[in-house]
Amino acid sequence: MFGAPTRTFSVNFALFLVALALFPVFVRDSYYLHVGILCMLFASFALSWHLVTGYGGLKTFGHQAFFGIGAYFSALVSIHFGISPWLLLLVAGIVAAILGLLIATPVLRIRSMPHVAIVTLSFAEIIRAVISNWRDVTRGELGLWGIRTFESFSLPLIGAVSFTSTDKVSFYYLMFLLFALVCFTVLAIMRSQYGLAIIAMRESENAADSLGVNVVKYKLFLFALSAFFVGVCGSFYAHYLLILTPSAVLHIEVIILVIAMTLVGGVGTFAGPIIGAFLLTILGEWLRGFGDYRMLIYGTMILLCVMFFPGGVAKLGSRLREFGGFSARVARR
Amino acid sequence: MPISLLFEQILNGIVLGSMYALMGGGLALIYGTMRILNFAHGEFFMLGGFFVFFLFAGAHITPFLAVPIAVLAAAAIAAGIQRSTLAILQRRDGWLFATIAATLGISIILQNVALLLWGERFQSVPYYIEGTLAVGDIRMAYQRLLILAVALCSLALVGLVLRYTRFGLAVRATAQDQEAAKVMGISTERINTATFAMGAGLAALAATMLAPLIAVNPWMGLPLLLKAFVVVVLGGLGSFKGAILGGILLGVIEAVGMSMTSAEWRDVISYSVLIAVIWLRPWGLFGVKER
Repeated sequence: MFGAPTRTFSVNFALFLVALALFPVFVRDSYYLHVGILCMLFASFALSWHLVTGYGGLKTFGHQAFFGIGAYFSALVSIHFGISPWLLLLVAGIVAAILGLLIATPVLRIRSMPHVAIVTLSFAEIIRAVISNWRDVTRGELGLWGIRTFESFSLPLIGAVSFTSTDKVSFYYLMFLLFALVCFTVLAIMRSQYGLAIIAMRESENAADSLGVNVVKYKLFLFALSAFFVGVCGSFYAHYLLILTPSAVLHIEVIILVIAMTLVGGVGTFAGPIIGAFLLTILGEWLRGFGDYRMLIYGTMILLCVMFFPGGVAKLGSRLREFGGFSARVARR
Repeated sequence: MPISLLFEQILNGIVLGSMYALMGGGLALIYGTMRILNFAHGEFFMLGGFFVFFLFAGAHITPFLAVPIAVLAAAAIAAGIQRSTLAILQRRDGWLFATIAATLGISIILQNVALLLWGERFQSVPYYIEGTLAVGDIRMAYQRLLILAVALCSLALVGLVLRYTRFGLAVRATAQDQEAAKVMGISTERINTATFAMGAGLAALAATMLAPLIAVNPWMGLPLLLKAFVVVVLGGLGSFKGAILGGILLGVIEAVGMSMTSAEWRDVISYSVLIAVIWLRPWGLFGVKER
């Protein structure tokens, strides 16, 4: 899966990025740009979660903690200390990564999947409870506002780049750069020898261990990197939407959404989380008119995917071809 | 804090803990037998709550009938769901994450079906018995004592069934080794369905007992599900006895911790206990170390 990049993959991926980059040239409507930003935000989140879960084999249910910590840390520091959100984007990621290391350490000692799921979920619930209860600072469920947005700057050739709520283009391109960064980092890691070691570790931890793969080091690295990216996403979210509530960024529904995206898109593939995130975000926006039915449809999609399309949308094409008998069965996962 | 108040808090903790034990016991039974971490467990709790609300608060059926009917109805729904989804998934390879994801989906579906059918209003159920018992300075509502009695009796009953009946023997055999149990002529499929229904029934029973103390609504299952997760880890995943002890212990820790801080820090206390336990004894307080 991750040997030399196949030509079709490179071409498809490049076309996808170009299409994303050109989207604001043709579409100026701020609602559509907003949906585009959300798509890329959730795609980055899902890719990072999948880095730990799909590749690392650690089934965590607590990544909303890193999103929430990134968002609240960044928002609070920008409000109280007047530090630029540009810098905080990075610092929030580092804070989330340190926290990730902290929670990964006890988790690493456990191999049982349900334990990992429960411990990471409990950790996220602690963070949520602390942030909702610490009302003097975070204002709890009333919502934190007054968050600073990104400072404007000017570029040669392009001119002034300003970040205001009316002009979503700058936010769109910032999110695009972050998304591309996540994509290329994941690709670079998974194509390196580290990627091979990580896959080996997922397939059989004991075998990898016996062949000299430092399992603990790799798991910690994956967890910290993944937490870093999710923290950066959280920071972007805070300075983009400018209002935070614990239930919006830290509720268990956040991680359920990311899991649903990854499952629908396809676990174990690079494209899966991205496809799933775009599909479900757009579907979610489209279903806004359906109100109460929205979550019902999400739940049904998760169940249907698990039951009938275990490979997700990413593998649907090859499954259909198999079904039609166009190609011989390829004996690989 | 006066000693009688502390004693009252501990007693309250045991009552609450017996509910955690019901939830956790059901979850442990399901995990122990079929290795499924059931994220939909909270929704069977919620169904139990709504059923007793309709039967007792709505149709004024006596609790002696309303509670068993609610529990059986929730268990029957659980059995149907298990048959049509989880049983099929378990026949495939690599179903460990698939079943967790499937129960997540089921949980969302049940929650939202309840929301569509019964609305988002918080409904309240009256106490089954009024009055308060007072011994010296210690006061305890009869309702709470009833909760404790029902929980302990039903857990003991399940324990006895598991220990002394042929059905219990079959459940334990299936839990030990599905393949070997099948070879011995046990219909493991049927045992799985029955165990799932039984676990869900325990969750529903907890809801029928707690309904007068908390509001019935589509989201009522989530907090209890999270608590049940803590309980089964404390007790050692899959251990029915461990879950009961873990549940009561968690209830007492929460009640005492809450009386020293405040109600809103309750969840932080219980999750911190969990993480501390995982650090020190990953196999749980009462579990046996595996490998």
